[in-house]
Parts: sequence; structure tokens; C-alpha cells
Amino acid sequence: MTDRSVVHATITVERTYRASPKRVFAAWSSKEALLSWGLPGEGWISGYERFDFRVGGNDRSHFGPAGGETYVNDTTYLDIVPDARIVSAGSMTSAGTRLSAGLMTVEFQAAGNGGCHLVMTEQGAFLDGHDLPENHEAGWNEMLDKLGDHLARDQAAA
Amino acid sequence: MSERSVTHATFTIERLYDASRTRVFAAWAEPAAKQRWFACHGDWTSGPHQLDFAIGGREHLSTRDSEGVDHIYDAIYQDIIPGERIVYAYQMHLGTRRISVSLATVEFRSEGKGTRLVFTEQAAFLDGYDRPDERKLGTRAGLENLAAELQRQAAAA
Repeated sequence: MTDRSVVHATITVERTYRASPKRVFAAWSSKEALLSWGLPGEGWISGYERFDFRVGGNDRSHFGPAGGETYVNDTTYLDIVPDARIVSAGSMTSAGTRLSAGLMTVEFQAAGNGGCHLVMTEQGAFLDGHDLPENHEAGWNEMLDKLGDHLARDQAAA
Repeated sequence: MSERSVTHATFTIERLYDASRTRVFAAWAEPAAKQRWFACHGDWTSGPHQLDFAIGGREHLSTRDSEGVDHIYDAIYQDIIPGERIVYAYQMHLGTRRISVSLATVEFRSEGKGTRLVFTEQAAFLDGYDRPDERKLGTRAGLENLAAELQRQAAAA
């Protein structure tokens, strides 16, 4: 028997964007948009085997550093309130080993000057020492900065 | 648009059972046993309990309370280590309204001849329709039902 352990942690990351809740929500609900900002590091690659953004729908995606370890994410969407909220549950594996399971809440709140305050909460169960809350928090911070860049590009192109 | 809110909360309940880890785990894994302790709510009436105990498998239970309101539970299993751990995500509806979404971790640890069960729920309560303290009370009652189920099994053996 291997040593089993679970570390439970809640990670909250917030950003205020100069884009409407509708535009920020759109960046979370389209595969193309997610692929353009949703990577936690330079030189990482990702793709979707399945994308089904609706309540009850399942996504399967993979990501990881090019030539390195590949992480597979299975996600089920549990609650979607257009332009306001997305709640999903899922787990992450690598080479068949489950690293973590978690619940994600993303809230899109109207902010001043037509902006959007985004509050992302991950309630995670980190399994058997394979993954750490700090890794996820760092990854989310990186991605939410990239989301800001994506929204600025999107705005410039409009 | 109605007012949207999310309250995040985490609670843990520990309980010691006078039964082996294998037996306590089996009461979660075997549909007939799980139904006996999970699908009973006093004078409330439960619909059919559906359980596909496998990673990615689903569980469903609808229970009508004494005032005619349906409490609907839907789970998806995320991680299963036989005899050791179960992780599942679940949501609750009150009628047609989704009131919460949670991640539950159940850990089974041998302690003497018995089993210490550690239940951790990480919940997102939606739009103010449920509260962490009420959920914890309900969960504690469920884990009491499990003790009674294990006692019945031992008495029947």
C-alpha cells in the first residue's frame, strides 16, 4: 500500500479587467479563447480532446511544457450563469496518476468604468503529495495575467 | 438578473466506526448498502437511488420532504482508491434551483480494530439558499445512519 494523503486548500485569485463581464465571460466559454490565454508557462502547449461548454458537459484537455510531462484535465460544468458565473468540477492526471481533484468557481462582477472584477476560487484536494496548492496558485496567477493580455489584444483588434 | 452570490466553505467531520476499513468502504461502494444508509431521511420519501461507483460514474437521489419539496442530489466520482479514499463532486437542487456544488473527500484509516472516517466537504453555496452549518448537520446525520447500517450488518452476520 502506498502512503495516501490529501491536502485540502482553497485558492482565490482576483483581477480587475478593463473589459465588460460579457467579454471576460466569453474568454472562458470559447475553446479558441481558452487556448490563447489558458497556459501557465512560456513554451507550454495545450489542446482539447473534447470541449462542451454547457451545464453537464464534459471537457478533456491536456497541457504541459513542450517535450515534458503532460497533464490531462477532465472537467464537468455544473453551473453556468451567462456573464456572471461558471462552476465546474474536475480532476487532473499525469501518466495515469491522479494528482488532484477540485471545484472551480469563477465569478464575473461588474466593476467601475464598464470593467469586470473576476474572482476565481479553486477548492482543491491535492492527492498523495503529487501536487501542491502553491503550484496551482502560481499557475492561475500566470494565466489570469495572460487573460488580461488576451482581452487587450481582443480590444485592439475590435 | 437576480442577485448572484457564492459562499465558499470547508468543513470536516471525523467518526470512528467499530468495523474494518474494508467493511466501511464497502458501505459506500455497494449500491444496496449505500442506499440503506444514504437514502433514508426519516419520513421523507426517496425516489430510486442510482449509483455507478466508478471514476467518472454518477450517483443520483431525489428525496421529497414533508412539505413536498424535492431535494435532488447528483454526484460524479473523481477518485476511488479501494479501502482508502473516495473523492466525488456533487450538487444539490431544491426543486429546480441549484443551491450548492461541493467536492467531498472521504478518507478511511485503520484505528485499532475499527476505522476512522474523515469526511471533508469543500462547498460553494449558491445565491444564499443553503448554509454551511446546516449542511454539516445533515452530513453528520448521514454518518450516524452509516453507523447504524454497520451495526445491522454485524448483528445479521
